[in-house]
Amino acid sequence: MLTQESIATIIVSVIVAAAVLLPLFALVVSSFQVMDASGFSTTWGFENYTALFNDRVIHKAFINTLLISSGSTILATFLGVSLAWINARTNCPWRDRLEPYNLIPFFLSPFVGAIAWHNLASPRIGLLNSWARDYLGVPGYLINVDNIYGVIWVTGIFFTPLVYLFVVGSLRRMDPSLEDSARTTGAGLLRTTMTVTLPLVAPAILSGAIIVFVTSAGEFGVPFKLGAPYGWQTLTTQIFSKAVGDDANYYLGSAMSMSLGIITAFFIWVQQRYIAPRSFTTVTGKGFRPNVIELGRWKWFAFGYNISFIVFAVVLPILSLIIVSLHPVWQGRIIPSAMSLNNYVKTLFFWRPDSIQAATNGIYNSFILAFLGATIAMILSLVVSHMIHRTKGFGARVLDFLCVVPIGFPGIVLAMGVLVTYIKTPIYATLWIILLGYITRFFPYGQRNISSVMLAISEELDQSSRMAGASWFTTLRRITIPLLKPGIFAGWVLLFIIFLRELSISIILYTSGTETLSVGVYYLSNYENEALTAALSMTQTVILLVCILIFRRVAGREALTA
Amino acid sequence: MSRSTNVMVEIEHLSKHFGAELAVNDVSLSVTEGEFVTLLGPSGCGKTTTLRCIAGLERFDAGEIRIGGDTVAAPARGIFLAPEDRNIGMVFQSYAVWPHMTVFDNVAYGLRVRRASGAIVRERTTRALEMVGLGHLADRYATKLSGGQRQRVALARAIVYEPRVILFDEPLSNLDAKLREQMRIELVRLQHEVGITSIYVTHDQAEALVMSDRVVVMDKGVIQQIGDPQTIYAHPANTFVANFIGVANLIPGVLLGRSGGFCEFEVPLGEGRAPLRLRALGAEDARERQPLTLSLRPEDIKVHLKKPNGDAGDNLFEGEVIETVYLGSMLDCRVKVGQHEFSVQIDHYEQIDPHQKVYLSFEPDHGLCLTA
Amino acid sequence: MIAGNSAGVMADTSADDRYVEVQGLVKLFGTDRAVDDVSFSVPKGRFLTLLGPSGCGKTTTLMSIAGLHSVDAGRISVGGTVYTAPAEGQFMPPERRDIGMVFQSYAIWPHMTVAQNVAYPLEIRKIDRAEIDQRVHEVLHLVGLGTMADKLATQLSGGQQQRAALARAIVSRPRLLLFDEPLSNLDLKLREQMRLELKRIQHEVGITSIYVTHDQAEALVMSDEIIVMSKGRIQQKGGPREIYAQPVNAYVSNFIGVANLLKGRVVTATSAGRGEVEIAAGGRTARLPCLLRAGMTPGTEVVLSVRPENVAASRQNGGSACLEGEVIEAIFLGNSVDCRVRWGDFEWKVTAHPRAGLKAGQKVYLRLDPEHTLAVHP
Repeated sequence: MLTQESIATIIVSVIVAAAVLLPLFALVVSSFQVMDASGFSTTWGFENYTALFNDRVIHKAFINTLLISSGSTILATFLGVSLAWINARTNCPWRDRLEPYNLIPFFLSPFVGAIAWHNLASPRIGLLNSWARDYLGVPGYLINVDNIYGVIWVTGIFFTPLVYLFVVGSLRRMDPSLEDSARTTGAGLLRTTMTVTLPLVAPAILSGAIIVFVTSAGEFGVPFKLGAPYGWQTLTTQIFSKAVGDDANYYLGSAMSMSLGIITAFFIWVQQRYIAPRSFTTVTGKGFRPNVIELGRWKWFAFGYNISFIVFAVVLPILSLIIVSLHPVWQGRIIPSAMSLNNYVKTLFFWRPDSIQAATNGIYNSFILAFLGATIAMILSLVVSHMIHRTKGFGARVLDFLCVVPIGFPGIVLAMGVLVTYIKTPIYATLWIILLGYITRFFPYGQRNISSVMLAISEELDQSSRMAGASWFTTLRRITIPLLKPGIFAGWVLLFIIFLRELSISIILYTSGTETLSVGVYYLSNYENEALTAALSMTQTVILLVCILIFRRVAGREALTA
Repeated sequence: MSRSTNVMVEIEHLSKHFGAELAVNDVSLSVTEGEFVTLLGPSGCGKTTTLRCIAGLERFDAGEIRIGGDTVAAPARGIFLAPEDRNIGMVFQSYAVWPHMTVFDNVAYGLRVRRASGAIVRERTTRALEMVGLGHLADRYATKLSGGQRQRVALARAIVYEPRVILFDEPLSNLDAKLREQMRIELVRLQHEVGITSIYVTHDQAEALVMSDRVVVMDKGVIQQIGDPQTIYAHPANTFVANFIGVANLIPGVLLGRSGGFCEFEVPLGEGRAPLRLRALGAEDARERQPLTLSLRPEDIKVHLKKPNGDAGDNLFEGEVIETVYLGSMLDCRVKVGQHEFSVQIDHYEQIDPHQKVYLSFEPDHGLCLTA
Repeated sequence: MIAGNSAGVMADTSADDRYVEVQGLVKLFGTDRAVDDVSFSVPKGRFLTLLGPSGCGKTTTLMSIAGLHSVDAGRISVGGTVYTAPAEGQFMPPERRDIGMVFQSYAIWPHMTVAQNVAYPLEIRKIDRAEIDQRVHEVLHLVGLGTMADKLATQLSGGQQQRAALARAIVSRPRLLLFDEPLSNLDLKLREQMRLELKRIQHEVGITSIYVTHDQAEALVMSDEIIVMSKGRIQQKGGPREIYAQPVNAYVSNFIGVANLLKGRVVTATSAGRGEVEIAAGGRTARLPCLLRAGMTPGTEVVLSVRPENVAASRQNGGSACLEGEVIEAIFLGNSVDCRVRWGDFEWKVTAHPRAGLKAGQKVYLRLDPEHTLAVHP
């Protein structure tokens, strides 16, 4: 029966399908076009894919990507599970107060984190190394993050909150009588944890690990700062150089993007289909308090462990940015007499003659993109969620599938696709193409937020409005949308944060004049000095921290586990 | 059925605070071997807390708990045995069946923890499953079972290693009415077959009456009465018990005197009617003119549509029917007598008109005067 | 396609005794006949209950009347206005049907106060503010929530939310009131209380009502008329006493209350609807006087249905009309004792007075009241 609802569903489905599938289709097509020696014409062939194995540089980049993803997954899983367990299941002091700080790295830019750690632990100019030289008499350097280990370190600690959120949620939702009953049948604490608690939490751990693996594989900023300049290329840095570098080759870039995309999409598919449904959430009607393990004197060790994480992940990097940004030039030592706010002036005060265009453009453009992008994405999410949950039928199922697709592909991959699709259209080299990239990649996050709230709203709340005499549209306006307000607002702020710090998509689609904030940081890092870079990075970080405060006010804890 | 007289569970002066609130207040109880004892009361009365103290899932402030002669918890002497060392079984309200294991593995868990050999595990687990009627579902994953089936798994799991005591924490409240009634009977039959001492917690008085050898009625952390179902029902110790168990007409009045083992009781009716003079049991230690409450069960009140001939009889009085509710098997009526309302039962085939005058009477030894 | 004028006020053009008319309703879910040729009518102002186990089609029927479901065949009309009639191409959307509905989950909107919830149907109808306030106040008082008007809906208990849902359903004075198992989320004591409250309010306001439940005790207490359903079809229609005391077949006997059911054969039949049925169980036989239904003649296979409260058990032998058996179980329920008495291989369910002193192991004699012993269709 063709109603208003079903026609609207079909139209929206077509729009979403076009936005999501066109770039992927374009990528596939272009990946099979092989550029010839002259660099002008192309033939069809598989050579772009075989380059993964033949071309030494690309092959190494592929291996490095796998190594980095595995390493950061192991690190993030270890940290995330231990922190979650401490927070949800022990009597660690002040654990409620610590939790928000555990989550901060999730909101910040890993690229900025890499910059901060470079300034802390680079062999020559690293602050920690110069302290080690001056005060501990260590020759040379103590630690070196300008290598693959540095990439793993920064990626690992910045993605720890992903695992943390999955695991802490699962631990908190677990019915404590599942463990109580094991105790009463005779199992001690250790045995209960191994045979009951851990298996029940395993799906959450696995989900978190897969998400970290996939996100690390698609991460561009950290390997770009700490890996590529020192000989460790990754698929993402190679894609970048094939897109905008001296050896630009869109077709090769497309093939690499497809290869990366297939791997990540596969893992996300496995996670969605086999692991997420197995999360044994047993929520009982009675409110309950989960079992807490008394650690005795060891609780201070747990506290110290958590504090250490926050120091390494949040405090040290921010301190590093502040200190470096106050110096005109950063050589590795603190020089109080040289410290000033000049760098901030140069990067923020756009009316001054010595202001740096890329930086000031970046702030301006990113705010516009973030506002506009978050708003459009949330409207789209609202419409799509309503269609998925309130209409039944084929269109709804197609939409649901389409909404998961962008999650499976790293930003840089989708950006390549968007580039190749729209390069000959008027939106190329404007802010609009970047906006399109952002929305396509990230609107599922807004949609999940709304969906989870919508699922909690029973259908009967809408039905009773119809029975009271209100039309489908009035019901939407007076009942559905007001009830969704918290989810809508939380989603908006989350998207705002994501767009403000975004790098991988912007770096592919920008051009002079349409730089974003992160692109500005990249520009300063490439063409200016570390101190200026730190100043802009700190500015971005401060803005993000303010947004986090707003987000915490607006959303509950559960809003993040999409 | 002959039963041993050994005491299996002994609770002495148990007290527990939650913050400033006294959740369990000086509770003492002895449960003999093989007995089925129910802790009954409204939510917040302390019954679940008491049960969890016996299990070792909760620590308490004062008192002692002994199981099978062994002291399992005595804070004053610094003794506390962890739950896994008390050799008890427990069935939870949410069943707590482990979703990541099969039915067989769920039930076998307790035996494997005790390092029983593979053969014993197989034999005993299979036997326990047969006993609860789930022999054919041994390889099914727990998530694929209905609520009633999960309840049986939880039961089999608790009995398979033959603990000394089984504790039940409102295990049937999540089931629908028909299934609940069915499971009650099954649980009791099983308990009689296996003979394990059982302590059961519920807020449902009908359940307690049907299942228990003895009932412990609790309110606000304090034991109100301990006794077998018939005694608790027919001779409630106070108005709380009378009201909580079944339906009771509680009519206030004063003691006039005693004669022949019964008390003479006056009920003012107001509304210009002479007060009623009734004879009933109870109030042995009351003084003259002391206020009392008469507890009278609806099924013990005879309803006469016409005034009965002959001897005025003890306890005969007139009233007016103000409400009838058809329940199928009977008519549930409220009869106004002066300022009081009596709840009575009439055979469902009678036709009662609104405001019809009826006569109510009861045998003196079916009424009980309570002082509290 | 839509009947009724644009102001939403409909004319009542039907006879009062067939105010709600459902004819030949059929609803398929795939190949499953959820509602299979259901027809009934409800007189104006009366309380009808659709009763049956889950999956019997009662909720689907209700949803079809509400317009929240379409139907595959049949006709639904209320007060003379056709609501659903696929054969005639008619389907009125739910918001135009002038129906109040109370849902199982109450469906109280959490972002509004109680008063705002109740005012909603009147605001939709664009009634002026002063009248809205007055009617909301009136109806809240009627349901006993007079003091709760400005509380946020989430601050109310389950029972209070249910009353608010009822207030919202009746405030617009709809022509029909529908209830979808509204009390199943409440605990037992509250449920028993609310049953009587709901009935009282419905009686006072006088709106024609259709109530869906699986709880037969609830249906008996509340209804003017009951329709017992099973597998999409109607088993019996009638008042509570009729359904309880004169069930038409074994299914209804068993679903309503408790019944002893034995297969038997009619031996004699008089014209006054009485006769004798012979029953047998594990070697024991008996010939019992009972009431017969129309069309039952000697030789007809029937089921004998007797309620436990109509079986008298005594330690004394009362003569040849008695069945001799052994008490195998006597469960004390407080105000009665639930006994099982074995006769042959059949266990009679007998309700005895607690002071009668029946215990397991005793030999007893059962006497059935011929006025309440029924022969029903298998």
